[in-house]
Amino acid sequence: MESMKQNLVDIVGAANVIDNPEVLASYAKDESFATPMTPWFVVKVENAEQVQNLVKWARKTKTPLVPVSSGAPRFRGDTVPSVPQAVIVDLSGMKKILSINRQQRMCVVEPGVTYGELQEALAKEGMTLSTCLRPRANKSVITSCLEVEPRLNCLHQFNYVEPLRCTEVTFGDGIQMFTGEAGGGPQDLKKQWEQGKWQVHPGGPGTTDMVKMVTQAQGSMGIVTWASLKCELLPTIRKSFLVPAKKSTDLEDFIYKVIWGRIGDRLFAMNKAYLAYLMGDTVDEINELKAVLPNWVAPISLSGDILLPEMKVKAQEQDLKEYAKQTGVHLLPEVPGVSADDVIERASTPSGEKYWKLTYKGGWQDIFFVTTLDKTPQFIEAMYELAIEAGYPSEDIGIYIQPQHMGTSVHLEFSLPYNPDNAREVKVVKELYETASRRMSHLGAYFARPYDIWSTLQLNKSGQYYTLLRKVKEIFDPDNIMNPGKLTIK
Amino acid sequence: MAFPREVYKALEDIVGKENISENIGVCETYRCVPSQSSAHYGPTKNWTPRPQAVILPKTAEEVQNIVKVCNKYGVEFKASTTFWSTMGYIGGDYALQIDMRRMKSIKIDAKNMCAIVEPFAIAATVQAEAMKVGLNLNIPGVGCSSSTLANFSTWVAFGPNSISMGYGNENVLGMEWVLPTGEILRTGSLASDDGWFCGEGPGPSLRGLFRGSFGAAGSAGVCTKIAVRLHPWPGPADFPTYGLAPAYKADFGPRIKCYTLCFPDWKSWARSIQYFYESDIAYSGHRQFNMFGRNLKGAMIEIISNHERQLSDLEELLNDPYIKEQTEKMRHDYQVIIAGFSDADLEYKEKAIDYILEQTGGWKSEMMLQKDKHDYALLYLTRLGHKNLNYVYCGAYEGVLGLTGNVWRAIEVADEAIALKRKWELEHTSIAASGGDSAMGCLSGLGGGGTTGWEFFTNFDSYEQDSVDGTCAFVETTQALMNKYGFGPDFCRWNSDVRKMNGYNYTQEEQNEMFKKAAQPWVFIYQYKIRELINPKNLCGSYVRTLDPKVLEEQQQ
Amino acid sequence: MALQDYRAMMERCSNCACCKFIPFDKVKSLRFAENCPSIGYYNFMTYSARGRFQLSQSLLDGRAELDETITNAIHSCTSCGYCDIGCKITRYNLEPLEHNLEQKAYAVENGKILEGQKPLIENLKKEHSMIPGTKKENRTDWAKDLGLKDVFKEKADVCFFAGCKYSYDPKLQKVAQNAVKLLQNAGVVVGYLGAADNCCAGRAHQMGFFADFKDRANANIKAFETAGVTTIVTPCSDCYHAFKRQYPKLGSNVKVLHIVEYIDQLIQEGKIKFTKTVPMTVTYHDPCHLGRLGEPYVPWNGKEKKIFNQIQIWEPRRPRYNGIYGIYDAPRNILKAIPGVKLVEMERIREYSWCCGAGAACNESNPAFSQWTANERITEAKATGADALVTACPWCKDNFVNAVDENGNKMEVLDIIDLVQQAI
Repeated sequence: MESMKQNLVDIVGAANVIDNPEVLASYAKDESFATPMTPWFVVKVENAEQVQNLVKWARKTKTPLVPVSSGAPRFRGDTVPSVPQAVIVDLSGMKKILSINRQQRMCVVEPGVTYGELQEALAKEGMTLSTCLRPRANKSVITSCLEVEPRLNCLHQFNYVEPLRCTEVTFGDGIQMFTGEAGGGPQDLKKQWEQGKWQVHPGGPGTTDMVKMVTQAQGSMGIVTWASLKCELLPTIRKSFLVPAKKSTDLEDFIYKVIWGRIGDRLFAMNKAYLAYLMGDTVDEINELKAVLPNWVAPISLSGDILLPEMKVKAQEQDLKEYAKQTGVHLLPEVPGVSADDVIERASTPSGEKYWKLTYKGGWQDIFFVTTLDKTPQFIEAMYELAIEAGYPSEDIGIYIQPQHMGTSVHLEFSLPYNPDNAREVKVVKELYETASRRMSHLGAYFARPYDIWSTLQLNKSGQYYTLLRKVKEIFDPDNIMNPGKLTIK
Repeated sequence: MAFPREVYKALEDIVGKENISENIGVCETYRCVPSQSSAHYGPTKNWTPRPQAVILPKTAEEVQNIVKVCNKYGVEFKASTTFWSTMGYIGGDYALQIDMRRMKSIKIDAKNMCAIVEPFAIAATVQAEAMKVGLNLNIPGVGCSSSTLANFSTWVAFGPNSISMGYGNENVLGMEWVLPTGEILRTGSLASDDGWFCGEGPGPSLRGLFRGSFGAAGSAGVCTKIAVRLHPWPGPADFPTYGLAPAYKADFGPRIKCYTLCFPDWKSWARSIQYFYESDIAYSGHRQFNMFGRNLKGAMIEIISNHERQLSDLEELLNDPYIKEQTEKMRHDYQVIIAGFSDADLEYKEKAIDYILEQTGGWKSEMMLQKDKHDYALLYLTRLGHKNLNYVYCGAYEGVLGLTGNVWRAIEVADEAIALKRKWELEHTSIAASGGDSAMGCLSGLGGGGTTGWEFFTNFDSYEQDSVDGTCAFVETTQALMNKYGFGPDFCRWNSDVRKMNGYNYTQEEQNEMFKKAAQPWVFIYQYKIRELINPKNLCGSYVRTLDPKVLEEQQQ
Repeated sequence: MALQDYRAMMERCSNCACCKFIPFDKVKSLRFAENCPSIGYYNFMTYSARGRFQLSQSLLDGRAELDETITNAIHSCTSCGYCDIGCKITRYNLEPLEHNLEQKAYAVENGKILEGQKPLIENLKKEHSMIPGTKKENRTDWAKDLGLKDVFKEKADVCFFAGCKYSYDPKLQKVAQNAVKLLQNAGVVVGYLGAADNCCAGRAHQMGFFADFKDRANANIKAFETAGVTTIVTPCSDCYHAFKRQYPKLGSNVKVLHIVEYIDQLIQEGKIKFTKTVPMTVTYHDPCHLGRLGEPYVPWNGKEKKIFNQIQIWEPRRPRYNGIYGIYDAPRNILKAIPGVKLVEMERIREYSWCCGAGAACNESNPAFSQWTANERITEAKATGADALVTACPWCKDNFVNAVDENGNKMEVLDIIDLVQQAI
């Protein structure tokens, strides 16, 4: 172990090799039910060269590496080592914003850059980044994009992995390369910029979409050390609405219509519980909101930026009202408990120090997958049935529906808050998480991001795919050092 | 050399006698003459090799069985649909050509806006079926006579409406592939039979093995079915066409308009494009008619939009003062379609365009506002059914230069590129003298804007060897310009490193020599390894660029 | 021209697929988008106009032979001319139909024909009719008692030319008779050629038997001249095309009208009045040789010229023959004029109409292919919801009568003359 430590020190310097038990313990588990496993070292990296050297060393010594870029609390189990003797590669200290280009609407960032940091920097250039729902303060933007967390603006999600474009990645075989358009030029960002190339096109290089090898991969193929991201213009005007409903199905036609009509830059739906968790800062506030909010709410927001913004918003508002009329719903600036502006603002900005999901009970388990909007009712019905059977309070189930990829699918998320200090609640939620995951899978839920037990469920259903995936992993990670055990590949 | 009888019999047993042929005359019609179609290499009059047989499967299971037979006997195979481009043809002397013509179904999920299509469902038919339910699809610049599946899964597929819909890669959902080993792979949500709606994952997206910024052009197996994203269409369910051939026109109603926007210089032209990137105004955007050459385009627009006109009227029309004037005004232009989802939406988009023009000093082409021209251009750009006008002058065309990518970078080079072409036109006779600026292409090759895709149309006579050879020589000069400014391969050279001029596949040794010199050769190594995995017998031609890792290791030692 | 004279065209075809589909601007569905019966049935590229261009190159260069398969491929083309129309949507310098016919002639000259074609040509030579088994002496039996004027002996306003199909087919003779009566009742003095009434040989031309066509055509032209015929009216679309487009190349100056043109004119002049209602929804099939191939011949003697280095034009302007001046409106005007008739259109109409399958005598030489083609049309006609399919050509009608849709169901098929007769 000492020689291992020395090897690591040789690569990153003594200050960046940590074997403090408390620190190791913080990486040994996360907020999920993933089986804890203490890593042997946490290594903080500062640049891509160190990452490549680490990977080469790990190959030689057959040491598992687990890349982590976001701070705690973490939820998916993907950053918890699945095997012993792992080394955590902590990229959270790589915090450079390498470039912001207003003309190209692009930026290039390192893994440690958070949403808050990036949005602040982009705002100075009149830009913003499409965001997932209220990310935590220390969430790495790159990780969020690599893991394809659903965006609030599905209509600008032309590419499924938007806003992710090109990357610099070190694969598990030690090769370091640029992906996308960047992979076709000199392996030097500055040289590319001099040539007027801004890492815009995510495809390739060539006939292989290399970035797809690292998306939804839970760090099991390679480590990304920078990513170029497509930016949006910062709105100068925004007008938001809430659409209340008794049942989720009451919102279906409206949502389909809005997507078809290409209206707005924020559209999602939540049940009252989920909305309460999002908006409430304390347990009491959350309970008050739960008591007064409509059963379901679909927030939608219109925005304008540089091109006649007022006129755009006015026109879209008019059309939105027409769609609402046609589909039998109402557009309101507020509903009991919350205003549309506040909901949109909250959803679009990073959480404070304390992650909002943990406010209610301190613990939180998600079950999410991809499906189509018209199929969501069957999953919702199943969830409630299972909750009753499990003895989980139905009124606590949070449900979030996020249209994605220009509306061709939705991210459906069930959230189960629980008290992690209450053994009974832990047991109930763990069992419910497992049975519900199985039931959803059986009903046709597509676990595109197969964390934890979902990987077994999903990949077992996709036998041929899984077989090929294993072999592809052998290409990119021949010694199985990249977060082994994830995606059921042991 | 015909296939051994047992091979032929095995194939015949799969599809039936009437769906396979080894007749030499029939097989001869499955050879490509690159100068007679757009090949992105050459041009050359060398025919691709003759296949030993041609086979037409009807189902994915038949394709699978065919591929298994090929694997067993080491037979090269390639699948193609419309056979328009050289890419779909076999490249060896012991090969089977798979013609996907019998697989053409279309199924539409209107609610979730996707279409599930088989190979021979050409874009025109997919669009027609989609429009019945208020939807549309990205038809790439290659035109609506091309296969939607082939475009999206195995080639590039950007076009006029990529700006609002995304390009091919962005529109792919679930896919069904017959791998070169004969196994069937389904990707995305289809892999677990959960539906066609998601093309990514589970986990890392293996569909990335088959299709990057462009696809493997048939060299990674056979895609037998694909789901593609559809997009809103606020126009009529079928085209209310009028007029006489070839000048069909359509009036889609007051909410769908087509404008030719013109600008005083390249800078304002690029600035206007940036406005379109930054807004959601454009439904489609393409610099279309400049493919006829800046000098001739006004007259050509008159010819193609008027059923009484023909190419022989070109010189007469060029002397028409009005056409001269209008042509000059369209020097820096492009076409854009706006589609209002409501009157208010249309009004906004109209005003937004006026604003853009005001900010950039641009104007709308008066000629193209005339109803017959407007309706012609609108139909043309919506259906993209006149792709063959690429060849109208001489029978052959190649795109050269290829100033793709950053539009601001492209305009820095534009004038020099134009001057280069013009000089060649005047000093040589091998290419049509349509005017130095014959750059045509989409406003954006990506959804939401960001990269442009220009090619300079270069028309030559596929019948005359001198014209073909002269064009080839011209491309050497355009490639030199591309190299000078770091633009990479000329459009006409995109496929030069995947098929030899004699029509044959490259060997591994030849590919090694080419790709070991790349600035970042890694992707070619990965592609080699992936090919070893899914195509161990290397049976599908050489359109996937591969580099044997041992060669790089030796080079680095 | 000989086959090698088309070499430049062969090499300038760009494989764009326009010859296989209806004009793309007109596509309304997947089901009815394609328009070449030959490749539609056989599926191999060889059977399309592009394939034929490429095949010709291989034949001329000696890489392929006129074996049985290729002979079949060459002759399994109804010469419907759609490929020509499709190509000319975007090209101004290719003539696919001319080339296809020349390719057939090349095969014929080399003795490569289909078994089913032999009796037609033999009968043409012997009995001046292209329907095997029919005799010259019976050709004008259908016209007995109609009071037709022999144009060699008496004056007539028009010379009525029934054509082989109407003349000999007992199911169709009544239609010809009704056509004559229609004209006579409208005050037209109708003549005929009597003993000089012989096959137009148009189908021989469509099959590539150019020499046999020319022999018969020249003889017919001489007869027209001798009789002083100035205007021919025919109810047969094949004859219409032969007289209007092919005969002038051999020196004929006769004006040619199809019966639908004449009836349309008479309706407009008030000389035909409808007194009965025919409550029926119909759809109309545009016969190839009346529609897209029904354009008049325009003399042209020019050559190719290159401008701007390589742009190929014709000097002087060459007639396009892209189908737009074919006869489409006259039959539709007639249908609209008949009380009670409602016209619904198929997807493939006018210059991009689907062929009936009988062209180039494929109904005789390749019945399976011909019948499949007709079946496709019935499927399309039924998809409109119409009660009946109406056409203006006996070959079309005959091919449709026994055709079935994809569910095996037939459809009522009417000659437009029949429908007119029902309303009078």
